[in-house]
Amino acid sequence: MPKEVVRLGVVGSSYPPTNRWAARVLRPVAAMADLPQIAQGTPMSERDGIETVYMGDHALVLHSNETGHYIDNLQARQPSIWVAVDDGVVRVITVDPYEGEALASDPERIVEAVPLPPQLAARMEAFITAHHVEQVFHKRKRVPATSAEDPRAPRILQADEKWVNTRGRSGRGPGGRG
Amino acid sequence: MKSASTVATEPAIDEQNALRAQQWSFLARVLSHAPDAQMLDALGQLEGDETALGQAYEVLARTARDSDAKDVEQEFFELFVGVGRGELLPYASFYLTGFLNERPLADLRRDLALMGVEREAGRYEPEDHIASFSEIMAGLAQGTFDAAPLGCGAAGEAGFYARHLQPWVTQFFDDLAVSPSANFYRAVAEIGRTFTDIETRAFELARKEVGGAVAPAGPA
Repeated sequence: MPKEVVRLGVVGSSYPPTNRWAARVLRPVAAMADLPQIAQGTPMSERDGIETVYMGDHALVLHSNETGHYIDNLQARQPSIWVAVDDGVVRVITVDPYEGEALASDPERIVEAVPLPPQLAARMEAFITAHHVEQVFHKRKRVPATSAEDPRAPRILQADEKWVNTRGRSGRGPGGRG
Repeated sequence: MKSASTVATEPAIDEQNALRAQQWSFLARVLSHAPDAQMLDALGQLEGDETALGQAYEVLARTARDSDAKDVEQEFFELFVGVGRGELLPYASFYLTGFLNERPLADLRRDLALMGVEREAGRYEPEDHIASFSEIMAGLAQGTFDAAPLGCGAAGEAGFYARHLQPWVTQFFDDLAVSPSANFYRAVAEIGRTFTDIETRAFELARKEVGGAVAPAGPA
């Protein structure tokens, strides 16, 4: 199954605590398609007590069977990347909105939807064009037993409906032909 | 005269029932597993009279003489075992509802429980298989089994037949006759078809004569 790996840099910021008991919490705020040449944990700026830190880079994997989800993401008003952080370390990055929502259901970890960089959107578009297979949703309904989709087995199984061994030990077809 | 004729017919009915039991046992034997070479030899020596059933036996004897036990075994496999399924599904439930192990089988099991008949250990076909039906009918004809305890109009041999076999058995033998692999079994189907036809009409006749009461015997 084709997949593509993209590395993204994550920028996090933390606000000054609103009371003396709370600590600073680092939350992802942006993702960069171009990786900066700086180490993980390097402070990037500080203004009005808001500290911005480079949280390091992490792999984002595009899977060909999730292209439908990527289309949903790109068609949203604000296409996003979901970044999951455990103890200040980036664990998962995904552009599948449903996987992102599933990650967010864990109250123990910080999950933020950050804006999708346009370069990544372009790569996703290319990936979708290459691998997307449209799957039609069929709503299954009850049909009367007399209709064409009769669920009952035939009373007499005809010869062409049988399971037959078409390749014997010799590798030839039935009757030594083929 | 009247009493004399009654006395005369009693052993005749017993003899008829014994012959009917033989017919049903024959069907049970060939429909449960393929006949071996010895049985094919014996079948090849049968001779029939000019009646429809006799003609059917004549055809069976000819087919038995022409066929090989191994071929008949392969034919049985194609018809009733198969890969995935055989060409035919010889179960009452399938013929009446389109699915296996449905309510007809449950009804049959309830009736068999009332009659005190149960499946032997080591036999894995459900009770609504045509062979086990034939065996039950043979037992009923011989008097080994008793269908008198059945209620709701199914009491007696005729009632059992009318409830469990009559709705589908003709269709089954017709299907057996036209199955793609059937050769020896086409002759069996002809016998089964003719015999069950006679049984059906005889039970109807007996019921009319007795006026809905338990039929004493179904002549064949």
